[in-house]
Amino acid sequence: MNPVFKFFASLRLTVVLLAFSMMLIFFGTLDQVHYGIWHTQKLYFESFLVVWAYPEQWLHYNKLFWLHLPMPGGYLLGAMLFVNLLAAHITRFKFTFKKSGIFLIHFGLILLLVSELMTDLVSKESQMPVDEGGRSNYSQAFRSNELVFIDRSHPEHDTIHSIPTKLLKIGKQIDVPDTSLSIRTVRFFPNSNVGRAQAPVADNIADQGVAIKMNVVATPTEVTYAENEMNTETAYVEISGADGVIGTWLVSNVIDERFPPQMVSLGEQSWEVALRFTRNYYPFEIELIDFKHEKYPGTEVPFNFSSEVMVHHEDSAKDQKALIYMNHPLRYEGLTFYQASFANQDKTSIFQVVRNPGWILPYISVLLMGLGMCVQFGMHFIKFLSKRRPA
Amino acid sequence: MKNLIYIIVLALVLMVFGRQLKPSSNESGFNIDSFSELPVQVGGRIKPLDSVARNTLLILSARQKVESPDGEWLQPIEWFMDLTMRPELADTYRVFKIEFPDDLGLPGLAEQGQRYYSFNDLKPHFKTLLELYSKLDPEPKKRSAYDAQIADINDGLMLYHRVMHSLHPIGGPERLDSLADEYRSYTSSVGPGMDALRKQQAGDDYDADLLRRFVTFGDDYLKLSRTAHLRVIPPPPPVEPLEDWENIGEELLGVMQGEALSPYVMGYAGLTMAYRRGETEMFNQTAQDLRQRFIADFPDDIDRVHYERVFNSMQPFSVAMQLYVIIFLAVCISWLRWPKELGNAAFWVLVLAFIIHTLGLASRMYIQGRPPVTNLYSSAVFVGWGAVLLGVFLERFTRNGIGAAMASLVGFCTLIVAHHLAMSGDTLEMMRAVLDSNFWLATHVVVITFGYSAMFLAGALAIFYGVLGVFGNRFDNKSARTLSGMVYGIICFGTLFSLVGTILGGIWADQSWGRFWGWDPKENGALMIVIMGAIYLHARWGGICKDRGLMALAIAGNVITAWSWFGTNLLGVGLHSYGFTDSGFYWLIAFLISQLVFIGLVLLPWRFWRSEYGREKDQKARKRILIAGADPT
Repeated sequence: MNPVFKFFASLRLTVVLLAFSMMLIFFGTLDQVHYGIWHTQKLYFESFLVVWAYPEQWLHYNKLFWLHLPMPGGYLLGAMLFVNLLAAHITRFKFTFKKSGIFLIHFGLILLLVSELMTDLVSKESQMPVDEGGRSNYSQAFRSNELVFIDRSHPEHDTIHSIPTKLLKIGKQIDVPDTSLSIRTVRFFPNSNVGRAQAPVADNIADQGVAIKMNVVATPTEVTYAENEMNTETAYVEISGADGVIGTWLVSNVIDERFPPQMVSLGEQSWEVALRFTRNYYPFEIELIDFKHEKYPGTEVPFNFSSEVMVHHEDSAKDQKALIYMNHPLRYEGLTFYQASFANQDKTSIFQVVRNPGWILPYISVLLMGLGMCVQFGMHFIKFLSKRRPA
Repeated sequence: MKNLIYIIVLALVLMVFGRQLKPSSNESGFNIDSFSELPVQVGGRIKPLDSVARNTLLILSARQKVESPDGEWLQPIEWFMDLTMRPELADTYRVFKIEFPDDLGLPGLAEQGQRYYSFNDLKPHFKTLLELYSKLDPEPKKRSAYDAQIADINDGLMLYHRVMHSLHPIGGPERLDSLADEYRSYTSSVGPGMDALRKQQAGDDYDADLLRRFVTFGDDYLKLSRTAHLRVIPPPPPVEPLEDWENIGEELLGVMQGEALSPYVMGYAGLTMAYRRGETEMFNQTAQDLRQRFIADFPDDIDRVHYERVFNSMQPFSVAMQLYVIIFLAVCISWLRWPKELGNAAFWVLVLAFIIHTLGLASRMYIQGRPPVTNLYSSAVFVGWGAVLLGVFLERFTRNGIGAAMASLVGFCTLIVAHHLAMSGDTLEMMRAVLDSNFWLATHVVVITFGYSAMFLAGALAIFYGVLGVFGNRFDNKSARTLSGMVYGIICFGTLFSLVGTILGGIWADQSWGRFWGWDPKENGALMIVIMGAIYLHARWGGICKDRGLMALAIAGNVITAWSWFGTNLLGVGLHSYGFTDSGFYWLIAFLISQLVFIGLVLLPWRFWRSEYGREKDQKARKRILIAGADPT
């Protein structure tokens, strides 16, 4: 047999890869203390290579700061395991009843790896806060932002032109779709402190909007990955029309509805410009009828959170009433709504909205693996028992 | 001789039971049992005063008994009665455990070799303690051992004070002896007192003396409502299950708002006065009346509350723990002498211990109305239970004592861990909303915890292999093969359960948090156990590791399982971290080191092995080297 093929099909490789996976998971767990789950996940499990560094907070850092451990990342290990498994099956395994358990387990495992990759790549998570008695037709992603130009001239609806802030590169010119406007990013801060300056700022880059009217300035700060902290994304954008530069605005995701809208005018037309958390709009509205937060008597320990909602779809045949509570999400139109949090003295309910087209895959793979394990170990066990009997 | 062995073992077992189930010597004539079953609402649950007394004492003294100054040992409930009804006496009992009293630097406090101190011992140092306490870092995690001790003493004193005030206001003997009169004069002063208050505000003439008395009552009870620790007064019937009970101060204040005084208030006053005067009949009658009232108001809860008191006094886990010691010793001796008799006896005691362990587990399930594992404490109890269950099966099939010995070892160790986890108070606490799902608790949590049991049992068997193989000279090839088969079988179990449990957890997570897998520490820990199992199985199937290597992997499984079980909670991140103490960190490190030592032991070259098995292996290895050396090619 081809030695390369033999290497990729060997059980030795399996064991080594599994050992590396264990190491990756261990250090990927440790680093969560400092980087939070989200960032660690990107660093360790959704990568090809990762280097663990001795944490600053640990004992004797000044003597051990040089300690670094490179290791293969999740994508690399996953791919290698996948190849290893396939090669092993092609070369060594013959399908027999005796091996059916192993086959089922391995096939389930492959499906699980694939579904996990799919989730990484295509699933989208966002949040939808709704006030009691209020309605909402969009959810917000807290880790991505968009620069929007809103045309409110139509009496029935608004037209929103959106540019993901990922595309904002300093100096780069971008045309705002379907308008005669174009933008150029002057400055961009992934995280910043935004506040009102006490005295007028001498070299204010912005010459329009809140930056001038309310003397708001932004200073960059380090990006945070903590679980419950957000990054204040801020940009200074120069906006031009067909005839040249109109002005420079300061936009930020903390400059929201609490501030007067920042308007850009060009001739007859005008747009509201804003940088905000990326919104996903839906063809339906969720109305929060009632939010309940119950506690065990005589304690502050929560006993139940639940939201009674009514879904109003554009197509009223799809209207639906639902109760969303712990462990009981609402699955609707390919989306899943979970009771995630609450705010505003129990008057606002916050739903986690997840779109994961592959959500059923783990269930299938899990069934296969469970079944395979039962077959495999069941056969072992029966053999073990029957060996004992005659003795 | 044979029979004598059985009789000795039986006698030992009976001794264990006798110690535990001995009826409490109670010559006082007070019906303590019915008092100890009076209800109180704590942590969202109705339980007997007995449980409160025990938990409070565990927090203060780390044990469930109190020594009075005249050398008599008191039950927790007897101490509780003295604390609430004869505080002047309770203040002399040594209930505050101070591990290092010399380190405190409080002149005149520390006594040679004494770790328990009374309220009165500490009294002269209150000012200093409070000063020290006020300077501590508000973040408990940043405190040193010394700071933590100061904080513990302060918290303990606070708890002591608040529990003392639970049944009625505390004062000098005159006040406690005339509580009923006090309540009567208070309730009769409410109407005229409010009247006088209104008049005063309107600027009319009023009885200043009456108003002053009324206001004094009000101030006093307001303070009491903030101090009293226990919610002992149920709302008037019919009672909703989720309704808040009130503490004594709140109930007394309620009278001002026109509410009738609950009969429980008068009941407790009556109990206290009778107890202080030594009127047993009066006390027993009042306790009985209160109990009848509770039965009438809470017909669904009475059985549970009664059973909880019985469960408390039986202490099945403590009995099981002692039986595990007997089993372990019996098996060890059986390898030297009387193998058949002691082996048999050990097996049956193991079955008995398992039944008692099961009884304890089932009792907790009944009391809590939940599947067996709901927190770290109950997971420890369950891990031991699962290991013993597997051990009973192993022993049933092999009958060589190994299964029994290792199962009893794991059972004992996990119950010790559980015992220490119980020090923080109530172990039958309510579940947070996200965990409130009996279905998932019964499936995911139970299955995964059973996986821990299997991994630990396999690890213990592997350690046993190393210890016997290296040090014992009787350990032969056959035993080694049997052990290797056992470890393999148990790891198969462990891997199966860990995988299924992890997967069920994924499904639960998908249902409640919207993702199947989130790389949360606890999830990662579970996955690491599965991978550990997979490594072992693939290494075995592929012949990559032989005897010693596989055993070393099984011991490494202990480390991984301990990490998954406790380590991930220590990190304090993620959705699964439901609280844990920091001292756990040092224990985890100690456990890790001990396991590394065992791995080193198992991996020792064959020539260091003293057993027959090891020597044979060594010879084979030498031969192989010789043959290889002589090979002319």
